[in-house]
Amino acid sequence: MALAEDISVQMPGAKRAGLDMDRVAKHLAIFVGLIALWEISARAGWLNPLMFPRPSAIVQSFYVIYIGTGNAWYHLYITLTEVFIGFLAGSILGISLAVVVGLNPIVRRFLQPYIIVLEATPRIAVGPLIIAALGFGFTAKIAIVMLVCFFAPFVNTLAGMVNVDRSALELFRSLRANKWQTFRKLMLPDAAPTIMAGLRLAMASALSGALVAEFISSNEGMGVLLDRYTGSLNMGSAFATLLSLTLLGFTIFKSMEWLEAKLIYWRNDDAMARISARKRVQMKGAK
Amino acid sequence: MNAMSNANARSGAHTQQQGDIVIKGEGVGKTFGNGSVVALEGADFEIKRGEFVSLVGPSGCGKSTLLRMVAGLIERSSGKLAVHGDTVKGPRSDVGLMFQRATLLEWRTALDNVLLPTELSRKLTSADYDHAEELLAMVGLQDFTFTFPSQLSGGMQQRVALARLLKTGADILLLDEPFGALDEFTREHLNLELMRIVADVGATTLFVTHNIGEAIFLADKVMVMTPRPGRLARIVDVPFERPRTAELQLTPEFNALVAEVRAVLGDH
Repeated sequence: MALAEDISVQMPGAKRAGLDMDRVAKHLAIFVGLIALWEISARAGWLNPLMFPRPSAIVQSFYVIYIGTGNAWYHLYITLTEVFIGFLAGSILGISLAVVVGLNPIVRRFLQPYIIVLEATPRIAVGPLIIAALGFGFTAKIAIVMLVCFFAPFVNTLAGMVNVDRSALELFRSLRANKWQTFRKLMLPDAAPTIMAGLRLAMASALSGALVAEFISSNEGMGVLLDRYTGSLNMGSAFATLLSLTLLGFTIFKSMEWLEAKLIYWRNDDAMARISARKRVQMKGAK
Repeated sequence: MNAMSNANARSGAHTQQQGDIVIKGEGVGKTFGNGSVVALEGADFEIKRGEFVSLVGPSGCGKSTLLRMVAGLIERSSGKLAVHGDTVKGPRSDVGLMFQRATLLEWRTALDNVLLPTELSRKLTSADYDHAEELLAMVGLQDFTFTFPSQLSGGMQQRVALARLLKTGADILLLDEPFGALDEFTREHLNLELMRIVADVGATTLFVTHNIGEAIFLADKVMVMTPRPGRLARIVDVPFERPRTAELQLTPEFNALVAEVRAVLGDH
């Protein structure tokens, strides 16, 4: 009986794993094929080497900029710092302001028109104005990233706070919870999934914001590196820089996903099961 | 042992006709929009300690409005309303409320949801955890202590809400169609358990429903309310012995009482 169950459970599982391996192999074959085609076309002169450097040249450039001269590391560090400081400052400002506004209907009413005007303005267009005000340094770039990262968390936090379940609010009122308790134990966690969605949007635009800021005003960072390589027609290094940014964007995206699963655990069945199991063990230990 | 003495207090309320009056309303009314819309015309009623009272009527009869006034969540427009002899001015710690929706905090386990009322009033002790676990066992959820609300069925969520209500320690329970969103079978089952639990803890209960049978089956007294404008039309005494079983609903006496209430409502 137990054996039969084991088999019936394992069989489809094993089959699925086999299929996955098959799919991975197909993907890999297509990828290798494309790269090979590109390499051959470039070597045969069918592709303009100025637009499409050979894949092998890109790999070589990767080696040069990260290991040979190693000059990309410094620019990567600069861009990452801009992204993170700008993201943190912008989103913290956005969330805190939204909390203040969300808790005070009067402030909300008077602030609303200004927020709408600011929201309708393309953020990047404000970039040159910020540079005029703050100069060409690091501060201006952080400020641009901040601006790009401010609105999504602000708007989402406000929406989350305003849309808190009415009966839950009534429950808290009947339990005579004070304002702080209602905020801390109801409104904030209730808004958390919406806030998190805002943070993901902000993080996605943070990297673009930093690059644009570097394009228009800087002498360091990945954007500058990309600009410089393209300008000197060093396309292999330009592509290597671009691919580094792709990888960076992907890593950021995945980390935000991971963070979301951790913070908003109640939207994730596996996380809930883990927490339940841990609490059960803790409770047994306490007794 | 606590439950025992409470049960005694409750049967006491039954035998001695003149139990203490816990909730007293005189001309309690509610209007909206500067008096242009009457939600409830002045209602007079008295509820004794340990009594189970149903408020029954169609939508718009003002039953939820009356419940929320007793809860201190909305202000009355006219009349006097007292709980334990004090004029109602706002939510009180000895009055607990439960809604049609469980309104559980989805980021908290069943246990942590039950602990919420206590957590809002003081620091939790290990005795609170034990008490919350007992209450979860009382509503039949001893195996779901650490489960999150989204993983519980609708009926189970309402059970957690009931345990949370009991954790407030309130001796007056206000229930606004607590099982109204559940299927017939689950609702009947939970009603039976509710009767048992309320008798165990010896609470005074005000139960809002639009189901006549349910209202009579559960209650010692049914306040029949009619709409447009909301009005307390009649208070009907329910004479059946306790404990009651589901079969009571098949007896001619029970159906006669249902017919009587329906006749009051039928004029509207």
